[in-house]
Formats: sequence, structure tokens, C-alpha cells
Amino acid sequence: MKIRTMRYFISESLQSFWRNSFMSIASIATVALSLFILGIFMTMVANLDYFVDNLESQVQISVYLKDDLTTDQVMSVGKRLKELPDVKEIQFTNKDQAMDALKERMKDQPGILAALGGKNPLPSSYEITFTNPEAVKKTAAIVANYPEVESSHYGQAIVEQLFKITTIIRWGGIALIIFLTLATLFIISNTIRLTVFARRKEIGIMKYVGATNWFIRWPFLLEGLLLGFIGGLIADFALFQFYEFVTVAIHESLAFLPLVSIYPFMYQTGGILLVISMIIGAIGSTISLKRYMKV
Amino acid sequence: MIDLKDVSKMYDNGSAALDHVSLHINKGEFVFVVGASGAGKSTLIKLLSHEELPSSGSVVVNDTEVNKLSKSRVPYLRRKMGIVFQDFRLLPNKTAEENVAFAMEVIETPRRVIKERVRTVLDLVGLAGKADALPQNLSGGEQQRVAIARAIVNRPLLLIADEPTGNLDPETSRDIMDTFKKINHMGTTVLMVTHDKQMVDMMNKRVIEIVDGKVVRDEQKGAYGDEN
Repeated sequence: MKIRTMRYFISESLQSFWRNSFMSIASIATVALSLFILGIFMTMVANLDYFVDNLESQVQISVYLKDDLTTDQVMSVGKRLKELPDVKEIQFTNKDQAMDALKERMKDQPGILAALGGKNPLPSSYEITFTNPEAVKKTAAIVANYPEVESSHYGQAIVEQLFKITTIIRWGGIALIIFLTLATLFIISNTIRLTVFARRKEIGIMKYVGATNWFIRWPFLLEGLLLGFIGGLIADFALFQFYEFVTVAIHESLAFLPLVSIYPFMYQTGGILLVISMIIGAIGSTISLKRYMKV
Repeated sequence: MIDLKDVSKMYDNGSAALDHVSLHINKGEFVFVVGASGAGKSTLIKLLSHEELPSSGSVVVNDTEVNKLSKSRVPYLRRKMGIVFQDFRLLPNKTAEENVAFAMEVIETPRRVIKERVRTVLDLVGLAGKADALPQNLSGGEQQRVAIARAIVNRPLLLIADEPTGNLDPETSRDIMDTFKKINHMGTTVLMVTHDKQMVDMMNKRVIEIVDGKVVRDEQKGAYGDEN
């Protein structure tokens, strides 16, 4: 492409941008708004995912050992547990440590401790955490069959419920993102269709005097890219402000909720949104042009 | 220049716009195509410019078989023909000069050539003094002159005009016809579709009459014909 031609395309797209400034602003506002909404959903889904990951990583099995084991037997159980698939970490708690922990928890109600009469009814135990939380159920069943093990516990009902919910949230989130991307594409291509419609006469004349299709397409493509770029920037800016505000607000009121930290997550999300908005702008303008190119 | 062999055009609704038409037009000719509305005149133009494709037969313009042309070559076919419409089709936000220059810009002509040639062509159609006027400040006749200038600025071998005087009063029409005559004298083939009986009779050129998609008359130095 000649430099002069490129300059022509750029000046044409900028001119059309200014000439239809009202429409351009409307397009940018639409792009910005829909991408902002898309961005909110993306951050929501990412945070839900993060939250769920967090919950899942906290799922663990407590393995209570029989009371009369030798140190060797206890060590051997630990060794076998470590070799089970998907086990991340095991932690041993002996009877005395368990008692200390109980005392600490119950220090406001000394009556309960007194009722034990100085005896320690608590078993020694292993706490198992997992790299893959789905392995919890299977592992619990295996461990319960060890002769040294009194019983193994995890929040069965709760964990299964949790997995059902998180699966729904993940797939629902993905479906929502796809839906919103398509909706945004639709809105943008419709908005650019207005620009194209306003210039259909020009396009017709260009076709009649023998301009090539790409020559006609380029200025619209650039305009679409520009609209997408500016709209995407505004959406990014708004999303940053929004996320920062929400992060601060949640930290103040619901401090226990884990949130994805702004860096690098928001920069990635912002970058993705910007790329999406430019691609959508370019595709949208090309789609809208198609009808009027058929002269 | 133009060669149609046994050309038929059926539209999707089943109506036949052209029915086994054959005709030959030589380089440098001035030809009128006449006939009632819906007789197939506009279809003829659309076939020449590859806006429509024939259902059967072959259309040759400038040694190019239009009906076999690949899509990407169509722009280059059109650069060798200029088209003038009844409704002028000027861009309202560009001046007369810019409207004409537009036709050269979009086929990537060097700017120096554009400036020089646009001036020459505006002079030729008698609009040298109105180069900076917007279409809204020009009369109908002047607007059509701008359109003619735009159609010939790329030096086409063929100039096609679709009812160019349809929106103009008789006196203005005569001036426009003189302009076409001048262009024809400079070697450009002119094909004009028209309803304007007075003009056709006055010009005394070749007349092709189409009725219901068929060529019913083709005579040198003809008149519009006797029906109404």
C-alpha cells in the first residue's frame, strides 16, 4: 500500500469520525457501556472462581487414629497417606496438641473442660489437604479402611453441594461471557451500520467509478477500530475505578471474602477487553458494509 | 466496443427483463436506447457495468467478457466506463471540484495529476467558474455537468448515461446534450438511455428501441418513434 493511500484512509476515517461526531459518540458510548458490563461479569466470574478455588482448597479430611498405636504405626499411616494420589499436604496432631487447641477454644467455658475430669478423650489425627479437591471422597473411603484408623471425616454433604454449585457457576459464567460478547458485537455492528448507511451514497459512487473493495473497506475498518479502541479505553478506565471501589468496600465490610488483587488481574482483563473491543469494531464495520458493497 | 450476443436476463421473480438481445456498438458511436418504463433499458446498463449478470448469452465491453469477469476485476472494468445518472448522485458535502476529484482519488491517481485534470474537465463541461461551489448552490443543469465531469475525468472509453435529462427542463437538456456531443466528438463512445423524444429527434443519431425486453428497432439516424 502506498503511503499516500494510507494517509488518505486515515484522514477519511478521522473526517468521517468528526463529521458524524454525534453518531461516533453514540457508538463509543455503546461500546464502552457494553464492554463495561462485559468487564464486570468477567471480574465477577473470575472472583467467584477464585472464591470457589479458595473454598475447595480448604476442603480437608480429618483422619482420627486409634488410641493404642505405637509411634511406628503412626508414622507408617503418615507415609501411606502421603503416597495417595492428589494429596497435597498432611499434618499430624497428637492427643496433647488436640487438647491444647480445645482448651484454647473453650477458655470462656471452663465448666466443660472441668467435666472431663483431667482425662484426654481426644484422638491423635492427620489433616489431609488436596491438590485436586475432587479426590476427597475417594480418599476418605480408602483411609477409613486402614486398620489403624478409627474414622475419617470431611463435610460430606457440604462438599458435594459445593461442587455442584461451583460447577454451575463456572459454566454459567462462561455462557454469560459468550452471550455478552455476541450481544456487544451485535450492538456495535448495528451502530456502525448507521455510519455506513449515512455514507451509502458515497460507497455507491466509489463502486461505480471503479474503487476496489478493499479501498472502500479500509476507512470503515479503521473507523471501527478507532471506535472500538476509544470505547474499550473508557470501559477499561471505568472498570478499574469500579473494581477498586468494590475491593475497598468489600475489604471494609466483608474482610473474610477473598478477592483477586488488582495487579496483574485487572491489567490482563483490561487488555483482553481492549483487544476484544477493537476486533469487534473491525468485524462490526465489515459486516455492516457488506450490504452496500453489492453494487 | 459493446457486443451483446443472445443475451437474456430473468429476475428471480420469473420476469424476463431482456429476451435474447443481440447488438453491436462500435467505438466512437453515439447511441440512444429508447423504450417504455420497464422495457429492460436499465437492465441493459446494469449488465454492461456488471451490476447484474445475464441469465444467458455473452456481454463484451472493451474486449472484456463482462459475464465471465472475476469479482476482483470488476473495479478495473468500471474504470474504463463513466456512468451518469438521472439523479446526479453527487456528494452533498463536497464541492464541484472535490466531487470530480473523488473519482480519481479512489482509484489512487497521483495528486498532481488530479488537480490538473479536474480543472481541464470542469472547463470542458463549462463549469470552470463554479469549481468551489457545493451541489446545493448549483442548478440542476450545473449539477449534471459536475456528474458528467466526474464520469469522464478518468478518460473512459465508454460513457453511459441513464436518463441524464430526466430531471431537467428542455433548454437545460439541450445544453447537456451539447456537452455529450462534444465528449463524443473527442472519441468517447456514448450510450444514452432516455425518454426524451425531443432530444432523440433533434440529435439524429442511432436509435435502439426495446419493447418487452426485445430489440424491435435499430436504425442509424433514427427518431424516437411514433408511439406517443
